[in-house]
Amino acid sequence: MILMICVDDKNGMLFHNRRQSRDRALIGHILHLTGAGTLWVNPFSQSLFPETGDTRLLVDEDYLLKARPGDYCFVEDRDVSGFTDRIEKIILFKWNKVYPADTFLTLDLSLWKLTKSEDFPGYSHEKITKEIYVK
Amino acid sequence: MKKPGVRISVLLLLLFLTLTACAYPASEYASAPRENTRSGITEAPFSIADMAPYSGEPYIVVNDNIPYFSEEDFTDQSYEFYSPLDELGRCGAAHASVGLDLMPEEERGNIGHVKPTGWQTVKYDLVDGKYLYNRCHLIGYQLSGENANEQNLITGTRYLNVEGMLPFENMIADYVKETGNHVLYRVTPIFQGDDLVASGVLMEAQSVEDKGGDILFCVYAYNVQPGISIDYATGESALAETAKDTSASGETSYILNTNTKKFHLPDCSSVQELQADNREYFTGSREEVIAQGYAACKRCNP
Repeated sequence: MILMICVDDKNGMLFHNRRQSRDRALIGHILHLTGAGTLWVNPFSQSLFPETGDTRLLVDEDYLLKARPGDYCFVEDRDVSGFTDRIEKIILFKWNKVYPADTFLTLDLSLWKLTKSEDFPGYSHEKITKEIYVK
Repeated sequence: MKKPGVRISVLLLLLFLTLTACAYPASEYASAPRENTRSGITEAPFSIADMAPYSGEPYIVVNDNIPYFSEEDFTDQSYEFYSPLDELGRCGAAHASVGLDLMPEEERGNIGHVKPTGWQTVKYDLVDGKYLYNRCHLIGYQLSGENANEQNLITGTRYLNVEGMLPFENMIADYVKETGNHVLYRVTPIFQGDDLVASGVLMEAQSVEDKGGDILFCVYAYNVQPGISIDYATGESALAETAKDTSASGETSYILNTNTKKFHLPDCSSVQELQADNREYFTGSREEVIAQGYAACKRCNP
């Protein structure tokens, strides 16, 4: 599976069980990336994808267990450190801001190889950085 | 620039609040019964005595992250309100229903002429940007467009401004921009006795239309600066004794990231994202830590 995760400057993901931020341009970017592929989310993230175009959106609490190779998984509130054997690629989106945080990305990215980094403008974010990591 | 309709609404609200508050002496104004206004000019039932002393985190959760708002505080209309200065010239609670129409369309202007209580212009090398104090907006400019309003500016450390308050303002701003919804937001500076500098600020927020679904917090942010001791009665400051000791001996305390081989100052924002397994403490000279194979962090430039 291919993980897509958003973090702030301190690798934060959530505060008080709520997402730190969102960006409609990022959602469009994600749907462009997934194309006609499968995008898994859990109910927590479902409302971010009211329209999915060609993308096949699957919503399931156990999506990290059900995703198959090549499927995309958008992760906001899950600890993915127990799924490293199943992760083919990580697409990390950096907000380039600091938000309050009490839940952090637990993956040690130093164990992964950064293959690509690029910036694009968001709707409410001046710059979002996309980093792609592979094993 | 705010839209005219919002300005008019704010003026009407202020007129209403003024009329309803006039029966109370200035010093009691902040404690006026809530029924005088639904916009929450009563103080949150909060005591600094209940707060743990600063221990390395810029903010702590209060009341399980549940704001002290009342049902009547909520409205899907934007407004902003700033308490009158007290007899010592200090700010009181500021609160707003933050909506798109309240947010500024222009860059923030100069606020250098405002001198909040306890204001001192003082610089330290270990402070990000050198200046210990910032004029801290209670309701951040990015949320309200309120610029040089003396009822909205307190003397706050750089650390409070950037590490304590800005992250929460960012969270609210993004949510409002993306959803068009409102966030009820109140920031209360907490002064002890007749102190001229606040010990910290209580920040409360709840998204309105989704009833706190996306924004819900209640935190206390410390008005401290690591490495600096502050006299809150006057605003005077000095290098903390621990910092003096190390600088006098040519030694400095650093935080090492054993994973990236970078070294940081203790108050560097990068330190907070350091995993415990990768963190080590080091006291010595800069040359010594570099000799051990570490490179200086580009963020704090130790």
